[in-house]
Amino acid sequence: MNARSRNETAPVHLGMPGHGPEAPRLGPLARLAPEPLKVVLNWGRRYSLWVFNFGLACCAIEFIAASMARHDFIRLGVIPFAPGPRQADLMVVSGTVTDKMAPAVRRLYEQMPDPKYVISFGACSNCGGPYWDSYSVTKGVDQIVPVDVYVPGCPPRPEALLQGILKLQEKIARESLGERYAGRPASPAGAPGAASASALTSGLVRGPATPGEEAGR
Amino acid sequence: MTETTVGIGGAAGSFGAGTGQGTDMVLNIGPQHPSTHGVLRLRLVLDGERIAAAEPIVGYMHRGAEKLFEARDYRQIIMLANRHDWLSAFSNELGVVLAVERMLGMEVPARAVWLRTLLAELNRVLNHLMFLGSYPLELGGITPIFYAFTEREELQRVMEEVSGGRMHYMFNRVGGLKDELPAGWTGRARTTVARVRSQMGRLDDLVLGNEIFRGRTRGVGRLDAGTVHAYGVSGPVARASGVDFDLRRDEPYLAYGELADVLRVVTRTEGDCLARFECLLDQVHNSLDLADACLERLAELPPGPVNQRLPKVLKAPEGHTYAWTENPLGLNGYYLVSRGEKTPWRLKLRSASYNNVQALVELLPGTLVSDMVAILGSLFFVVGDVDK
Amino acid sequence: MIVSAAEDLSVFGTDPWWLVCVKAVFVFAFLMVFVLVSIVMERKVVAWMQRRVGPNRHGPWGLLQSLADGVKLMLKEDLIVKGSDKVVFLLAPVVAAIPAFMAFAVIPFGPADHQISIFGERTTMQLTDLPVGILYILATASVGIYGIVLAGWSSNSPYPLLGGLRSTAQMISYEIAMGLSFAAVFIYSGSMSTSEIVNSQDERWFAVLLPVSFIVYIIAMVGETNRAPFDLPEAEGELVGGFNTEYSSIKFAMFMLAEYVNMVTVSAVATTLFLGGWRAPWPISGVWEGANHGWWPMLWFTLKLQLLIFLFIWLRGTLPRMRYDQFMKLGWKVLIPVSMVWLLLVATVRALRNDGYDFQEITLYVAGGVFAVLLVSLLVDYLREKGDKEEEAARSLAPQEQFDPMAGGFPVPPLPGQTLPPVPRRKPRSERQLVPAAAESLNDTVSVDNTAVKETDGA
Repeated sequence: MNARSRNETAPVHLGMPGHGPEAPRLGPLARLAPEPLKVVLNWGRRYSLWVFNFGLACCAIEFIAASMARHDFIRLGVIPFAPGPRQADLMVVSGTVTDKMAPAVRRLYEQMPDPKYVISFGACSNCGGPYWDSYSVTKGVDQIVPVDVYVPGCPPRPEALLQGILKLQEKIARESLGERYAGRPASPAGAPGAASASALTSGLVRGPATPGEEAGR
Repeated sequence: MTETTVGIGGAAGSFGAGTGQGTDMVLNIGPQHPSTHGVLRLRLVLDGERIAAAEPIVGYMHRGAEKLFEARDYRQIIMLANRHDWLSAFSNELGVVLAVERMLGMEVPARAVWLRTLLAELNRVLNHLMFLGSYPLELGGITPIFYAFTEREELQRVMEEVSGGRMHYMFNRVGGLKDELPAGWTGRARTTVARVRSQMGRLDDLVLGNEIFRGRTRGVGRLDAGTVHAYGVSGPVARASGVDFDLRRDEPYLAYGELADVLRVVTRTEGDCLARFECLLDQVHNSLDLADACLERLAELPPGPVNQRLPKVLKAPEGHTYAWTENPLGLNGYYLVSRGEKTPWRLKLRSASYNNVQALVELLPGTLVSDMVAILGSLFFVVGDVDK
Repeated sequence: MIVSAAEDLSVFGTDPWWLVCVKAVFVFAFLMVFVLVSIVMERKVVAWMQRRVGPNRHGPWGLLQSLADGVKLMLKEDLIVKGSDKVVFLLAPVVAAIPAFMAFAVIPFGPADHQISIFGERTTMQLTDLPVGILYILATASVGIYGIVLAGWSSNSPYPLLGGLRSTAQMISYEIAMGLSFAAVFIYSGSMSTSEIVNSQDERWFAVLLPVSFIVYIIAMVGETNRAPFDLPEAEGELVGGFNTEYSSIKFAMFMLAEYVNMVTVSAVATTLFLGGWRAPWPISGVWEGANHGWWPMLWFTLKLQLLIFLFIWLRGTLPRMRYDQFMKLGWKVLIPVSMVWLLLVATVRALRNDGYDFQEITLYVAGGVFAVLLVSLLVDYLREKGDKEEEAARSLAPQEQFDPMAGGFPVPPLPGQTLPPVPRRKPRSERQLVPAAAESLNDTVSVDNTAVKETDGA
């Protein structure tokens, strides 16, 4: 295990806005690992999603409800109560992202270590929802950070979040990190929202290989 | 004589050696912090672990609801109105429809009035259960919230059955309620209320009886009645400081006037975090009693409609009115100004949490960082209600 | 005392080098496996306490959850904070993790008289022992705290800094109470070597003989390991993640590992010092002769360890976090004085016994003293309460003025000291209109406040 970590060249994360150079982040091992090893790695990643709840509005309550006894997403390996972004793998943006909040969302996303995943939970964070014509609301969190799974609803039921998590786990099980990061160009270090449209949507539009399994949409 | 701060290593920078601010540390709590349940931001100046000054910075959740009200007609407003305080959606809707009904001079059918009272009380229980669970969580006790949510889920099922929504019920309409009750619903509601009441004892045992919990809340964050008046604090937070004011009793709306013998306004005099928590807990018991009384009364009432026929285009006559209700978190008022159009000219929202949070400026200085968490949690605010 | 213990330790240090290696690797593996099991157990047990099922997608019964966590953490991106002190930042998790393992070298898994045979070599179930074994444990345990302090310092962020400072204070105050509770054990066993201490518990466990020391140690051990309700350095609600806020990936994994290994280590010390170490628990040891021979002691040891870990988890599932100053108060004003007095008592009793006094006589003296103290404290409490009550009675007799809530034309809540007069109630619904204010709200200037007055007055 120690040998593996040494291969992982520890890059210095500058904590600056915009994506740094992506390619060397995960080291050659994760990219060049043989297939069985990749399965193991994906298995670990899939069932150990420490979630960082970006609880912003009503949906946060349903997010909490999903972690409670009745729905209990912890049985899926999604461990909530990750205190900060540094230990998290999954960010669930639940609620309305306002223009004032947007830089913080972006910043916390960047503080998460790769590989990281984002679930956009609820109509507000998908597209602005009922506040679609508000002057102060960001119309969708995908304008700031790349989103892996969208969960619709206002607010979505906890069951919908469970489905979203399952979809994300399927996606992780199939993915290859090399591909995930190869497609994303090193975007210019600009202000939040400066990433190009293709960079933001690359993980989404391609989607899973099998048809009819569009993540949660 | 000059004073120099010498620091070695990583944290030396945060000691303000370069900024010339002495050894006071500025700590930004939030906008995303585990204890703010939402996005309230606090700017604290720390002296060691003691807070020297605190300033709540609001506005991270500002969604412009008041402006949007002006672009929605009276039916659509209900939908936005129940979202600012997402834990008391029903009571929020209620204020809007009461205002519009008053403008229209509309009489609401008796059954609708009693049903509204019932649902408002159930909503109050739901709201309080959330805080009863999350407050211990902020103090580090992870288990009570799971019990609180078990009961919440039961109540939510009842509410969902009648309205179709788990949180945002959208069940109020101008002139009554959206629909008739499902068959057999009152029986199920009665069982649920009884079950929730029987399980409330667990929270008593697990939280209120805990020495550590009492030690962390007793005498902490003492809010005196003068400050309550100065900042316009209302609801259980104010009542815990001995301010005996409850709209349900002092200016009865809905059917509360007839429930006077069941309604018990819970007050405490200590004004500390423990008193606020106890207030909330007692209110749950009282709300469950009120819900039972409403259910009994509903059974006695003759069958009748629960809503009125409305015109296709609903226009409030020109004028203005102010409708305020006792929401779970405090006074919630809507000041409605209409110019006779189908949208309000202005709908000003007076939300409870906004005023309650302002009291933090008085409460926090002089306390410890750990107390900050206890005080913040005990003010029972919803960020959407603060920022609108 | 020490000399005799040193003589007893002659059985140690005679193993061939390969056996030492095997044992060392075994201890390491034992700890790793135990930690993995403990993490899963924590997830599961806490889940059951909260009426959930806990992780169940990872291998049979969710048992591989911590393995999945490990695999994932190893391959996360390794962030180093820009403003951090890089060397210290990298060093801190190592400093935290390694001493946690080291303490286990002197923990006996079994009796010290060459019980088992490995590849034909008869040996003891213990890596080694020292004449000052417990001091060695104390030393390594406190080095581990440096990791946390350094992590807090080097992260260049206020939350970790506060966490680091808290953990320093915590360590200083609780190490003393811990040391004092050990001292009572030393007095009774006459040795500081772990194997000797277990040997001297063959009749009665020290938990029974020295209950106060045991309780003090249990509290101090939870404080030492930064676990709930004393998890102040990583208080989630207050300090986000405390000292490890800025750590990610493998470095965070090392902190987590250190925390759990520390839990196991202090539990092992508790087992060794107070719960009879590897000895079989009472009903079994009474019935079955062979319970303390061969490989069996390891089973008892592991069971006791597991029980203590369960205690940790139980506490975490039940109790809220203490406040920092209360925690310090508990340490300095309760635990340390109590253990000092207790230590005096133990020493006195011991000395009296050495001088040949009867056991019952001693008990009489001790019980008399305790009762006297209790009586005095009761009296003090009673007097204080009485004073409070008198004061309260005087306060409640203060005159109260009449208060008219409608004086200003609209209802206002009473000011402090004023009481609300009984509120006029509305008539039943059948006798009044629901919305009386509609007519005037059209275009005249009657404001809402007047409406409110009319509603209440006209009722």
